[in-house]
Amino acid sequence: MAHHHVPSLEDTKTTLDGLGGKVFAVSAAVGVIGLVVSIGLGLAEGDDLRHFGYSYLVNFAFFLAIALGALFFLPIQYVTKASWIIVVRRLVEVMAASLPVLALLAVPVVVLAGRIYGWAAPEAGSDPLLAHKVAFLSPRWFTIRWAIYFGLWTWLSFTFWRRSLAQDATGDLRHTHKLENFSGFALLVYALSVSLAGMDLLMSVDYIWFSTIFGVYFWAGGLVSFFAVLTLVTMGLQKTGRLTHIVSPEHFHDYGKLMFAFTFFWAYIAFSQYMLYWYANIPEETGWYLLRSGQGWGKVGMVVLFAAFLLPFAGLISRYAKRNRKMLAFWAAWIVVAQWINLYWVVMPEYSHDFVFSPMDVTLFFGIGGTWLAAITRLAMGRSLVPMKDPRLDDSLRFENA
Amino acid sequence: MAADTQISGLYGLLTEFESPSVLVQAAAQVRDAGYRNWDVHTPFPIHGMDEAMGIRGTQLPFVVLAGGLIGLGLATLMQWWMNAVDYPFVISGKPLFGIPANIPVMFELTVLFSAFAAFFGMWGLNGMPKWHHPLFANRRFLRATQDRFFIVIEARDPRFRLHETSAFLASLGGSEVEEVKESAED
Repeated sequence: MAHHHVPSLEDTKTTLDGLGGKVFAVSAAVGVIGLVVSIGLGLAEGDDLRHFGYSYLVNFAFFLAIALGALFFLPIQYVTKASWIIVVRRLVEVMAASLPVLALLAVPVVVLAGRIYGWAAPEAGSDPLLAHKVAFLSPRWFTIRWAIYFGLWTWLSFTFWRRSLAQDATGDLRHTHKLENFSGFALLVYALSVSLAGMDLLMSVDYIWFSTIFGVYFWAGGLVSFFAVLTLVTMGLQKTGRLTHIVSPEHFHDYGKLMFAFTFFWAYIAFSQYMLYWYANIPEETGWYLLRSGQGWGKVGMVVLFAAFLLPFAGLISRYAKRNRKMLAFWAAWIVVAQWINLYWVVMPEYSHDFVFSPMDVTLFFGIGGTWLAAITRLAMGRSLVPMKDPRLDDSLRFENA
Repeated sequence: MAADTQISGLYGLLTEFESPSVLVQAAAQVRDAGYRNWDVHTPFPIHGMDEAMGIRGTQLPFVVLAGGLIGLGLATLMQWWMNAVDYPFVISGKPLFGIPANIPVMFELTVLFSAFAAFFGMWGLNGMPKWHHPLFANRRFLRATQDRFFIVIEARDPRFRLHETSAFLASLGGSEVEEVKESAED
């Protein structure tokens, strides 16, 4: 209603306070224990950490994609001058600013590259199909590229983070204008780096296979998980009495729309990739799908089709579902799991042509996820969870869907 | 009373407001009085008006869903008939009816029929197309696209009683209540 009370920041808690220390301690402990246990499980396999490497790759790619989703969402808000998001934008900034920590977590992938990536294995040199690709797919170049990717992402995310925090103190409008100008350029850098990084990280596991759309596939999946995680984080904070009133069903409705839209977008990209290879039927192109549709992995592929696309699509299509808190929470959690299964299906068939699942896959999820959560909690501690002096904050508080 | 409720040729009663805030309060009163066939007319959208008028959610999504499903079904049937039945022709070893090859057309027709359903469904639910509307003949109503705000209660509303409704409208704080005829010839 037009004449109802516009919520203000005084209505709620906008800092982590005591909660921050607790969440940090618990998630850091879970992260460290998870990583240590995983290394133990990996060594126990007696395969020189090969299985560990693949399992690590799945989970690292999963959390990296979420943080990259956040890094995409920030400049998009600035270039469109969107106001609805402001009240939760700090949460997005925190997730994006965690990228330097993910750079540390990327070290095992680079170190274990020889066990994960066929092109980095000592015996790969003789493969004629690799001969034309060695200039790009060499361990040294791979390492340098990851240094560049993380250098760029850290720079982008910290530019948003620093200026937003600086505005908290002064309310200076120039920060908003600078970031609006910066965002178009940031998106260009983002698109190129993330597209290449997706290919490096996941596509090159099978160096024979290639797909020009793969970077988009990686990015779109991560964006879906990011919206789901943002929904769950906001709901979690509200459960503890933070951000209540100011984040309304109107904002959650928009989360739902984005989750729904990008679920479809991800599926659209996934199918675009699949259909061309199905139609052309060229051996080096179809090999990737053949491996993932036969034996144990075909069933996992069907799970991905239903869990990551058809079911959430049907579940989130109605306005009612997007505005119903419980249903939205359910589908957000569902989507997180489904996107994880998707990455598992992308990576693991290269480790074993038969279906495998090990406790390590779960312990690494908690190991990397716990470390990541500890990092974002640490970043958010002692700071306002809302960009208090953003010029569009008032619009965001008043936001209503038409 | 019968004569009072069915005044031949009367479309409804109109009252005019000068500010949107008064209009929103007046609309809430009309809603609370239990009228169903009535509307407000404003030069621009007013936040909170839907709620003040008690407008319920639209049925349009279901029309769109039906349209989409019909498009999906037609696309599937069409391709199956053309490729697998009427003119079977093997192309690069693909099955005559291969789902991946058919999905683009299934997708496009779903979108097309959904869009048609949304567009024409909106027409249908809004009673369009119309050649003319009784309000267009009202001189005061011309300002509905400029700087005036109107509430109109239609004579076909079950609660409509000429004198009571007229008195009720007059109490809302707008201008004098005016009768609007069904057709300009009267």
